[in-house]
Amino acid sequence: MKYILMMNTMKAGCGVPEWPQKDLQAHIAFMKNLNQDLKESGELVSAEGLSFPDQARLVRAGNDGSPITDGVFPESKEFLAGYWIVDVSSPERAYGIAARASAAPGPGGKPLNMPIEVRQVMSGPPEKP
Amino acid sequence: MKYILMMNGTKADFDWYSKWSKEDLMAQMAFMHAFNKELRDAGVLVAAEGLASPDQAKCVRAGSDGLPITDGVFPEAKEFLAGFWIVDVENPEQAYRIAARASAAPGPKERGNMPIEVRPIMSGPPPEML
Repeated sequence: MKYILMMNTMKAGCGVPEWPQKDLQAHIAFMKNLNQDLKESGELVSAEGLSFPDQARLVRAGNDGSPITDGVFPESKEFLAGYWIVDVSSPERAYGIAARASAAPGPGGKPLNMPIEVRQVMSGPPEKP
Repeated sequence: MKYILMMNGTKADFDWYSKWSKEDLMAQMAFMHAFNKELRDAGVLVAAEGLASPDQAKCVRAGSDGLPITDGVFPEAKEFLAGFWIVDVENPEQAYRIAARASAAPGPKERGNMPIEVRPIMSGPPPEML
């Protein structure tokens, strides 16, 4: 079963977090270890980090099909910071991995305990229609 | 340059989508299949995924013991990711053009073109973080 684990923590307009260098490094080292462990257990399908929200654009097709881009988002909008897709034997395993990611170190090395949204990835369109 | 193209929607958007006629759903799926194939043939498609509906979403946090605490309640205004494409293109304009194609996917007549959020993918942490 494939699950996506999403970090939806960023707010409109923000860039690189203003943490001390050492705390950023600890955070990145933690993420690298997590990815390495998931790779070794054969559960990692993919993992990506997205650029910061200041680079996000909202695109719609105009009447002629050409793109209309907009860079203004509501302040309350959550931005995807990054995600993992894992192939696991149960939802509980996906939640366990999400809990580990949730406890990634933040400022001062304290666990962030950030929310991670977990949802199954569909391998094809739903059967129903 | 890798870009992610995201389709987001609130629970209300998903509820509305679940009421589309079979004909509208089939037309949309046929569009998506053809669109993905075209991106793949052009060599720009890195990945494309569709996510399960928001009623299956769980919010997971580590408790103080590191164990997962799961919650299935989200604010009404929350936007959920419905699916995404990752494309590898020459410049942002090409990513925006591909997003505009996805934006104009067919749907019920009353629906306008849907918004697609486009953002670069980082190949690694920014240098100032290392």
